[in-house]
Amino acid sequence: MERRLRKELTNLIKDPPDGIVVDPDKISQNITEWTVDVKGAEGTLYQGEKFTLQFKFGSKYPFDSPQVMFVGKHVPEHPHIYSNGHICLSILSDDWSPALSVQSICLSILSMLSSCSEKKRPPDDMFYVRTASKNPKRTQWLFHDDTV
Amino acid sequence: MSSSDSTFEGSDKKESDNSSASNYECNICFDVARDAVVSMCGHLFCWPCIHRWMTARSGRMTCPVCKADINEDKFIPLYGRNTTDQQDPRKKVPPRPQGQRQESENTNGGGFNLGENFSMSFGIGAFPFGVFSTFNVPDRQGHYGHGHTHGPAPNQDEQFLSKVFLYVAVFFIFWLILA
Repeated sequence: MERRLRKELTNLIKDPPDGIVVDPDKISQNITEWTVDVKGAEGTLYQGEKFTLQFKFGSKYPFDSPQVMFVGKHVPEHPHIYSNGHICLSILSDDWSPALSVQSICLSILSMLSSCSEKKRPPDDMFYVRTASKNPKRTQWLFHDDTV
Repeated sequence: MSSSDSTFEGSDKKESDNSSASNYECNICFDVARDAVVSMCGHLFCWPCIHRWMTARSGRMTCPVCKADINEDKFIPLYGRNTTDQQDPRKKVPPRPQGQRQESENTNGGGFNLGENFSMSFGIGAFPFGVFSTFNVPDRQGHYGHGHTHGPAPNQDEQFLSKVFLYVAVFFIFWLILA
C-alpha cells in the first residue's frame, strides 16, 4: 500500500495534471494522509476558485477506496457536495476500482465541478450535515443523478 | 516532457527515463507485474493483485480498468524469456473454495421446509391415463432466509395433512395401475 502511494506521489509531482497541486513535504511525513489542492477549471462556474481535498488511505488501499472529502473554509457549492465537505460520488464507494488513483479521483471531482450548471447545495444538505458521521465512507450513498 | 527533473531519488529517475517500463506495470499495485496475467480485455495485472480483488468482491467480477466481465479461468499467464519458473501463476494462489450448495431433496426425513407452501392437486379426467398429479414443492432458494426463522412447530398439522394426501395419491395411482 505504501509503495503504491509513494509511486502515485512521485508521478503526481513529476507530471501533475492541470489544476492539481500536491505538497510533497507535507505528505511525506505521513503517506496515509494527503491534502491536495485543486483549482476550478477555466471557463466553468468554479473558475478561479481553489479548494482543498483530504485523502485518508486505509491499510487495504487500493483494494478499498480512500476517504475523500473537501476540507478548509471553502467547500465548493455543488448539488453533490455537502457543506461539511462530503462528496456524493460513486467511485468513492460502490464503483471503486483498484485501478483508480489519487489523480483519477481528483480529475473525476474536477470534472464533476466542471459539468455543474447551477451552484447550489444538495436538497438535504442541512439534514445530512447534522446527522452524518465524520467519515464519508460510513454514509450509505444513493447514486441517482448522472447529469452533474 | 522534461527529463531533467532532479528532485527525485535515483530509482524514480531511472524509471522516468525508461518510460516504456510503465507499459508493463500492474494496474493495481503500479509495480512491474509479477506472476503477470492478462485479462481477455487486455489489461495486465499481477496474479496476486487481481486474485485479491476478485475474492474481495462479491457478485459480478469486472475488470478494474475497463469494467468488462472477467473470469478466473480466462486470464492468460505471461512468461518472459528465461523465466525459470514456468508454473502457471494462477495456480500459485490457492483457488477459491468451491461453494457448498447442495441440491434440495424432497424427502420426508428432514421435513423442515416441506410443510410450508406444499401444495398438491390431484385429478382424474376422461383422457386416457387421465391422472394428473402435481406436487408443487417450492424451490428452497427462493425462500432463503424466511423459512428458517419459523420453527417447524406451526407447520406440523399441514405437514401431516400433506403427507396423508401424498400417501392417498400414491395408493390411488397403484390402484389405478393394478385395476
